[in-house]
Amino acid sequence: MRVTSNMSADTSLYNIQQGRAKLDRLQELTSSGTAVNRPSDDPINTRLLLDIVDKVKSTDQYSSNITKSDIWQQFTSTALTGMSDTLQQAKELAGTLVDGITDTALRAGVVSQLQALKQQMIDMGNTQTGDQYIFGGANNATPPFTNSPVQLPPPAAQNPDFAFYTGDESNINVEIGNNAAPMTMNIPGNQILTADTATSQNYGSTNILQAFDDMIYAVQANDVTGIRASSQALGEGAKQIFNAITDVGSRMTRLDSFTKMNENTRNTLMTVYSNTQTVDYAKLGVELSQQQVAFEASLSATAKLSQLSLLDYL
Amino acid sequence: MGLSTAMEIGKNGLNIYRVAQEVTGENIANVNTPGYSRQRVILESAPPTTANGFPLGTGVRIATVERYYDGLLQQQLTNAQTTQGYDTTKSTVLQQIEPTFNEVAQDGLGAAISGYFGAWQDLTLNPAGSAERQTVLSRAQILTDNFHSVSTALNDSISIQNDTLVPLTNDINATLKNIAQLNSQIRTTELVSGNANEIRDQRDQLVRDLSQQIGITYTENSDGTTDIKYADGGEALVTGSAAGTFSLDKTTDPNKFAVQLTPAGGTVAATVAPVTGQLGATVALRDTIIPGYLQQVNDLATTITSQINTQHKLGSDLTGAGGIDFFDGTATDAATFKLNPLLTNTNQIAASSNALLTGDNSNALKLAQMQNLKLMSGNTSTFNSYFDSLVSKVGLDVSSSKNTEAQDIAFTRQLTTLRESNSGVSLDEELTNLIKYQRSYQASAKLITTATEMMDTVINMIR
Repeated sequence: MRVTSNMSADTSLYNIQQGRAKLDRLQELTSSGTAVNRPSDDPINTRLLLDIVDKVKSTDQYSSNITKSDIWQQFTSTALTGMSDTLQQAKELAGTLVDGITDTALRAGVVSQLQALKQQMIDMGNTQTGDQYIFGGANNATPPFTNSPVQLPPPAAQNPDFAFYTGDESNINVEIGNNAAPMTMNIPGNQILTADTATSQNYGSTNILQAFDDMIYAVQANDVTGIRASSQALGEGAKQIFNAITDVGSRMTRLDSFTKMNENTRNTLMTVYSNTQTVDYAKLGVELSQQQVAFEASLSATAKLSQLSLLDYL
Repeated sequence: MGLSTAMEIGKNGLNIYRVAQEVTGENIANVNTPGYSRQRVILESAPPTTANGFPLGTGVRIATVERYYDGLLQQQLTNAQTTQGYDTTKSTVLQQIEPTFNEVAQDGLGAAISGYFGAWQDLTLNPAGSAERQTVLSRAQILTDNFHSVSTALNDSISIQNDTLVPLTNDINATLKNIAQLNSQIRTTELVSGNANEIRDQRDQLVRDLSQQIGITYTENSDGTTDIKYADGGEALVTGSAAGTFSLDKTTDPNKFAVQLTPAGGTVAATVAPVTGQLGATVALRDTIIPGYLQQVNDLATTITSQINTQHKLGSDLTGAGGIDFFDGTATDAATFKLNPLLTNTNQIAASSNALLTGDNSNALKLAQMQNLKLMSGNTSTFNSYFDSLVSKVGLDVSSSKNTEAQDIAFTRQLTTLRESNSGVSLDEELTNLIKYQRSYQASAKLITTATEMMDTVINMIR
């Protein structure tokens, strides 16, 4: 085939261009450190990478939900433990009263102690995390428990205008894992402290606050039967709180296992992601120096060949 | 007869070799002219006479000045150029659109969608919290901004393609006119004398340039003119010295000019549908390819609007009132996608599903779970995976158009090399010819000198 000088020039130029393009690509890979810098670099892996990113974001969101939920459970657990301790004190106090008190001053002392303990129960029922009342159900912007007026004729049912609990019984459900059933984060306060008015009596059916009031009234009237009855009710109440604590414990266990699962999922996903996306610097280094040599060779060859001409010899 | 014949032959030789040098000079001067085909003199002996009693030639003469030209290569080159024109245009424009969908390198629409549903997730943990509610609104605004930006980028690209039609058709029209002019020049020149080699070269170059912009078929006539027909419809573009013109109908749809053609020798502009070459690529990008992507983005926007609105209206807000539309229900595409203008207060976010329990979170939970529901593509993919598929598709289109463009360039290059090999000027050759003709010129001059000396001898004889 006949070869003209223009053809040689064209070929040299074309090959230099190709060499430059390859060098450019290698430089981009090296300086960005990522194998896929735009969808057209690798359309199939792009889909995979974007999918992974979506899943990782999902996992992170679940982790965040779990963390907040965990805080909630811990506050709940603390409050319930406090209630349990208070009830213990109340029971001990009741134990000393089984045979009645004749001394009026002593009775007044006991009554004020009982009132203080009852107020403690109510205060713990109004525990907050952030600005949410954890025992309020859906009405968690206002304190769910209020104390009854000092002189409350028993039973509280005879005084229909007053309700200890002004929250509601709805569950706050949150998502903690992909395709996992949402977890109920809260315990409605009425199921704990005023369980006979609750629709679902998951832990017991004792109205603890009412039991306190009955006890106070019975002590004031020195009604031994009443005292004994309220004492028993308080005992049932303690069991009720204990059941609630167990439930919170099991929730925290579930949160724990989901935390581990989310972490594992995230690690696996990130491993796949970096396997696809991170460049192998050693391999790139070798390719870069190979390509550099090839490029230099083509430049040098072009320079040498373009200097040759018949005109130098005529 | 006699010595003067010898002188005649010498003089002839001088003339001829001077012309041969001129042709060589022409080749050397035009070594870098694009489209130039080298020429050579075809020498033949002048007709013989029997003046000496036997037939003897009377020197040399130039039969013709021929150019090296391969018609088949020209044909192949025109076709290759058309394909290359189409693929190059498509590849360039698609690469300009790709950054809009480059979700691999930066956060875009996909991240905005995830962020929006993440805000609903956070709200489920504190349904009455004002910070969480505000976040839902902020993330919704980010989503709106992203939809607008993608939509604007694609729409701008479409209108740029539309505007590009103007200079493109002007360029084509200028080329057609030039070809027609060259046609008439060639015809006149060749009627009078010999070959119009340079003009033919120019015309071939113009035909190749034209083929990049539109697909053409051409035929050579016996009088030297070339008739060109449009490949996408068969209309005559150049007939002899008459040229057709492309025009644009800008009134029927100001955003979508219709391409029209007045054929050579005709007077009426008829609408054509360009499919090949740069013109075809521009029209395809404007009407099919980019609108295809835009349609998918619009579908995503409208589905998100309708699904979120439906679920939101089933809930109740912080005041106990029923939920209103979250996104503007009158939006028809991604460009008009926005928050409902009546949603001004964070209290209006309907997180609860019970009007009496304003702190309930079940509606917020349902809205958050919508991220994992398969609501796109006939209920087969989620919002995120729909967008991811779109990104992947754009990537695939760009990468395959890059590959096709590279292949076309390689093919055209091969053909160009062949053409150059056949018709290109080789300086080595021309310089050798230069020496050759110089020597022949010297020899012819020597012939005249010798004949003159012989004449002197004869004249001295008489004295």
